[in-house]
Amino acid sequence: MLVRFNFPNTIDDLVENFLSRENLDYRMTSSAFPAFDIAEYENESVVMAELPGIKKEDLKITVENGWLTVSGERKPYEIPQNARVLLNEMRVREFNRSLELPHEVEANNISAELENGILRIHLPKSQTARPRTIEIK
Amino acid sequence: MGKNHQVALTRKGSTALMRPTEPAESFVTPIADVYETSEAFIVKLDLPGAAKDSININVEENRLSVKCAVQLVREGTPKLLFGEIRSKTYYREFVLGEGIDHYKTGASFDTGVLTITLPKSESMKAREIPIK
Repeated sequence: MLVRFNFPNTIDDLVENFLSRENLDYRMTSSAFPAFDIAEYENESVVMAELPGIKKEDLKITVENGWLTVSGERKPYEIPQNARVLLNEMRVREFNRSLELPHEVEANNISAELENGILRIHLPKSQTARPRTIEIK
Repeated sequence: MGKNHQVALTRKGSTALMRPTEPAESFVTPIADVYETSEAFIVKLDLPGAAKDSININVEENRLSVKCAVQLVREGTPKLLFGEIRSKTYYREFVLGEGIDHYKTGASFDTGVLTITLPKSESMKAREIPIK
């Protein structure tokens, strides 16, 4: 074998890796793929999702009955026939994850962009969900 | 890079060997794929949110290391409703065997995936020997 990897090679390493916070987080998010983040602004909410290796055309975003669903498929990359796989951790193929919308949205004005493996979905608030100040007469 | 690199080497991804006086820097290990062809070793790493310019690839003697800080930028000060994505520093290293042509190492970054190509040196390439 020409390449060796820095896998944890002692029990201590394993335990330390498992217990350290970043790895714990990492495990949690990989079991619920993709990792999500929702930030609420005055007139919209922005949902972010980590989707490395996924092309626009293999991604589907739907909004239905107050739920947002991001689903799709990570297509395997091309690999020459005679290649030998030495490490294969990119195992997520098909994914599907839903989130309850934080407020009513203007479904017709939802927009999304995918850049460097990060998906951003802009969910504009419906008129009723926007904050309003009521003037006292 | 010098000091951080050494810290990373002794830590091996854990905090076990860190002295308390050292600044705490925690890394996230990116998911990786590696395969070997007759011409090269190919390393792929998931680095979602990375900017091409912030990825640091270092080949030193028999070690390939990749480090990349990903800054989560939010406009203004929103109310955070759900947070699984954070600013972080990805770090991972690989020990390389002999027979890799370091100077011809190439890399590309697409859809949040970094691909590093480590070509084999001429003497290591598989060759079919014809029988005369």
